[in-house]
Amino acid sequence: MLDNQEIKRLIIATGLRGENSAAAFEALYRLCAPLLLGVARRLVGRRELAEEVLHDSFTRIWRSAASFNPTSAQPLAWMVTIVRNRAFDVLASHDVSRVDALDAEDYADDGGGLFDWSLDPEQGLEQQRNARHLRDCLATLQAAERQTLTLAYAHGMSHSDLAVHLQKPLGTVKGWIRRGLANLRGCVERKMEGAR
Amino acid sequence: MKFATSPHLDALCGEYLLGTLRGAARRRFERALNDEPLVALRLRHLETLFAPRYSEMIKMEPSPLLWKRLDHELQLSRYRPRWDRSLGFWRAWAVATTFGLLTVMAVQVLLPAWFPAELVEIARLESKDKGVTLYAELSKDQRTLRLRAPRPVLAGPAQSYELWLLPVGGGAPLSLAVLGTLDVSISLPERQAAGLRTGAKLAVSVEPAGGSPTGAPTGPVILVGEVRT
Repeated sequence: MLDNQEIKRLIIATGLRGENSAAAFEALYRLCAPLLLGVARRLVGRRELAEEVLHDSFTRIWRSAASFNPTSAQPLAWMVTIVRNRAFDVLASHDVSRVDALDAEDYADDGGGLFDWSLDPEQGLEQQRNARHLRDCLATLQAAERQTLTLAYAHGMSHSDLAVHLQKPLGTVKGWIRRGLANLRGCVERKMEGAR
Repeated sequence: MKFATSPHLDALCGEYLLGTLRGAARRRFERALNDEPLVALRLRHLETLFAPRYSEMIKMEPSPLLWKRLDHELQLSRYRPRWDRSLGFWRAWAVATTFGLLTVMAVQVLLPAWFPAELVEIARLESKDKGVTLYAELSKDQRTLRLRAPRPVLAGPAQSYELWLLPVGGGAPLSLAVLGTLDVSISLPERQAAGLRTGAKLAVSVEPAGGSPTGAPTGPVILVGEVRT
């Protein structure tokens, strides 16, 4: 279980550009690189490409650490977004076909093993509650919305990838995504309001 | 375009997090993240809502070369404490330490062999029948006494030789060394060295193995000679 407070501390120390910044950055790498490589591997499909994504992402993290917002509650999500965006760029430039590589397990609504929905007592109460809200709200979405969001997030599919994969018009897929995101946000916000 | 006031802000943030905002659209959004604080604020809010926990099962250990490459390319050594800045520093330290150690060894072991300390003969110890002569030589700093026998003289297995200083003006003999052979160098404590002056005598007795049990000569004195400095 990665500790967001520790990750935040290391990112801030990295951004300070002092004589301890290299040590903080190395600790951040040792802590997060295995998970981020797993995320990248899920998106680009090949280990050597995933390592390239990881390299470029940590270069970006080193350069962006000074502008990291210290009030962010989700420093790992900040890093994951950097990795995912770099993976999309690599996918676009390498003409990698992932759609054909997906097997039945990857269609699963739970993200095909990318996520862990079990309760983790080491997580803060708020994080546990948010994760539970997200899981519960995903379950309330229409099947097409849920499947589209899951395939897009867990496998990095673009609108056109999804249209091909689901054999639906591009406009239909975009509509599922737009409505799925809006319904998910509304549902989680309502649950959070209710929990206060 | 101002993203912060766009009715589609939440949709854009959502698609950015989902990963379906691609290419030029994503780059425009990222510029807005830098330029418009409200956009960044809204994105952080949605990050909190959409924060799944990743499974430990997906972890993969990166190649060790990857970190080395990052370390080199980003010149991370500039951001380490001065003493820890580079592998080069430790390599240089290792080389310097090894060189230093070898130098000390050379000084202690090799140099005396190449440039023996200058010795001055201070006594000739002879047997009663004058059949054996032992030369006693003292270094200029008076810290090393060298005994030099023209031919090897070895004690038997149950015997030791013991070298004595018989002080000027009499007094009890002072043991300088217990020896197995009479061809040796002895390091002298300062007090003993001070006694090696004209008028004193050096003598060698035969003692049980390990030296005199009493602190005074107990066996026959086989060699004796007067010190002349």
